[in-house]
Amino acid sequence: MVQCPSCARRQEPRLLCSNCGAPLPAELDYFGVLGLPRKLTLDLQRLESIYHEIGRRVHPDRFATQPEAVREASLRSTALLTQSYRILRDPISRGRYWLELHGEKLTESDKRVPAELAELVFEVQEELAQLREADRNNRKAMTSLVSAIRERRQALQVSMDEARGALAENFAKLDRQSGDRASLIGNLKAVLSKIAYLGTLIRDVDREIEPFDAS
Amino acid sequence: MSTIFGIDLGTTNSLIAIMDGEDPCVIADAETGDPLLPSVVALSPDGSVNVGERAIELEPHLIVERDGQVCPVGFAGGEYGAVVRSVKRYMGLGGAELAPEDQHRYSFVDFTGSVVRFRVGSRTYTPSQISAEILRALKNRADAAGFGPVEKVVITVPAYFNDGQRQATKDAGRLAGLEVVRLVNEPTAASLAYGLHKQASGRVAVYDLGGGTFDISILSIKEGIFEVLATNGDTHLGGDDMDRALVDLILGDLPDELRVERHIWNSARREAEAAKKRLSSAEATDLVVDLPGHTVSKRVTRAEFENMVDGLVNRTLERCRLALKDAGLKPADVDAVVLVGGSTRVPLVRRRVEEFFGRKPLCSLDPDQVVAMGAAVQAGVLMGSRRDMLLLDVVPLSLGIETMGGVMERLIHRNTTIPTSVKEMFTTAVDNQTHVDVHVVQGERELTRDCRSLARFKLGPIEMQPAGLPRIEVTFLIDANGILNVTARDERTGREHSVDVKPSYGLTDEEIERMLEEALDSGEDDLNQRLLVQVRNDAEQILAAINKQLAEYGYLLEGGERARIDDIAGRLDMARRGEDRAAIGTMVEELNEASTPFAQRIMDGAIKGALEKKSVEDVS
Repeated sequence: MVQCPSCARRQEPRLLCSNCGAPLPAELDYFGVLGLPRKLTLDLQRLESIYHEIGRRVHPDRFATQPEAVREASLRSTALLTQSYRILRDPISRGRYWLELHGEKLTESDKRVPAELAELVFEVQEELAQLREADRNNRKAMTSLVSAIRERRQALQVSMDEARGALAENFAKLDRQSGDRASLIGNLKAVLSKIAYLGTLIRDVDREIEPFDAS
Repeated sequence: MSTIFGIDLGTTNSLIAIMDGEDPCVIADAETGDPLLPSVVALSPDGSVNVGERAIELEPHLIVERDGQVCPVGFAGGEYGAVVRSVKRYMGLGGAELAPEDQHRYSFVDFTGSVVRFRVGSRTYTPSQISAEILRALKNRADAAGFGPVEKVVITVPAYFNDGQRQATKDAGRLAGLEVVRLVNEPTAASLAYGLHKQASGRVAVYDLGGGTFDISILSIKEGIFEVLATNGDTHLGGDDMDRALVDLILGDLPDELRVERHIWNSARREAEAAKKRLSSAEATDLVVDLPGHTVSKRVTRAEFENMVDGLVNRTLERCRLALKDAGLKPADVDAVVLVGGSTRVPLVRRRVEEFFGRKPLCSLDPDQVVAMGAAVQAGVLMGSRRDMLLLDVVPLSLGIETMGGVMERLIHRNTTIPTSVKEMFTTAVDNQTHVDVHVVQGERELTRDCRSLARFKLGPIEMQPAGLPRIEVTFLIDANGILNVTARDERTGREHSVDVKPSYGLTDEEIERMLEEALDSGEDDLNQRLLVQVRNDAEQILAAINKQLAEYGYLLEGGERARIDDIAGRLDMARRGEDRAAIGTMVEELNEASTPFAQRIMDGAIKGALEKKSVEDVS
């Protein structure tokens, strides 16, 4: 329940006060927009289905010949809907958002390179630098460098898949509330941070390998 | 409710269509039966305008000769009128942004400005004004065929059109006296036409190669929902460029001063276009052009032509690769490929697209008409038919703001589903700063100077406070047309801030109003009458809608709302029978305002209703 700052009417969270029409401070959260409980585990098929169903009813195309007030409302509501779907569809943005909702925003220290990854990050950056600076004419050396980078890429993918698996497990535990909440949340932040760094590494590697893949 | 028409405003040809029962139907010219209207506009020195075949007929007569001397192509406007082709390539662009080959095609004024202006004698025309003439001709065509009046339209645009190009298209509609209810992306429109009857389901790639633009869109179609996953393209790449390869062949041996001469170039272009079409069925053809002094005759084989345009086709496939990458898919993941645009008739294009996707492309619908048909389908959806169908399109280019050092900070990523909005908090850098400047750009590059400037606006006036204290929340909203809307709110007081947006592409409301006045034919109603009709339509629309809502959702009304709404509605109903345009307009706004909370409640009810349809076990 939220209270309207204008007329003090208490009501379920919504975009505008049902009594006086003023904008309410507490916006609908993304779970609320889609009618979902604030659980981390989501069936993506069902999510898409709900998204489409609501979309059919509130999209501006439904109100093209209505007065401006209605069209405006539909535009705002649909923008909120597409935003909600986008954030909740990806487990990583979903996890981050869930933390925010529960007052557990990621701090600067949460965003620092996790200790276990520090060495990996350093190594990969070194390898990429080597590739960048290598003599393109030395075919033998190039081939072995590229080959090593490709292996690295595969290894990174394996790590990423493992991390995503850990994320899913973490989600399930938090949903079931099985375990010490504080440590589960700490875990969640750690896994999210790890995935973020792995993602950056994979992106950097892909960018360097691309010219070699295309040929 | 008046019919909404679907319009394909194409680089080479334009069409108008409507829904005829369950199927879209293109309205042909009442005399010739031709469904296509060439996007050719002849502007005569006396100010008269002709569009289509008539313009093509006039072309040889509006030539460039001054005192018996042949003039270079830069003076095409001169004192003798001009025939403008492919005006779409100039929409929403400044002189510096034009493709090199387009920069010297016509005579321009204000070339360095943000809006290109064509010079024709003592007059100037913006691309929107010229496009408006094409729209007017389409409107007349529908009237002549008995389908009129044409008031509301859906107009298609290349998916890759940026904000300025879209605005220019909307302006063209306005200048033609039309209400542009929606802009729809061309590949998405084409997919609607194809997906209409088949219980289509799966991933579709739409390859749209028109006269001047190329688009590739990857969509997912499921139970009537057409969802764009990614889109890419090139707004300076099309059949015109294929023609040019052949023009270069024809004019190759001529001395430079003859090569740029306007009607020589024109003759060469006409033959090039015809030859290109012939090569779709013949293995070889002769290029024959009569020039002063001699006749050019060259033989070209299909193989040679394919060699010439191979690079162009490669560029399109590179875009396809990028779109698939953004969608996270491989070519094999696509279930169907649709070809759109006359240029896809070129055998090389068909072959390479089939190779790339590993399947035969669909082209059962006429590639020249399918976009207009799709526009009509969307028009139908907007009129309330097919409640199951929904179009979820995306913004094609990232949108961001300029930050310290000219760096582009991305706020909305490309291929984000629209409508979409993002909020950013702004504050002041120095004490007592009264305004904050914001520069919005569109593009994928790191620096704003490499991106396209979209708008600059000032937030304020801000109350005098120490630096860093004010908190202004700016909402960047991209609507269903793919156009940016900006609103700002003082976070502390909740008050709306005024945002004075200066669109970078340059046409202000005042300029458009002036153009509207200038565009009046002697046979048309005077401007005031037209504006009165418009505001009366607004009044009628809102009254009809409110009555319907009061009947259906009356139980959602609260407090003294009903009395207030009835009061304003009553006064509006009286006023609209009168002639006081300002009064009617004010009352329409009042009624809008008074009914907003009610409307929002209906909307919230719609969301809630959709959720309630899901049973308890679904939501777990």
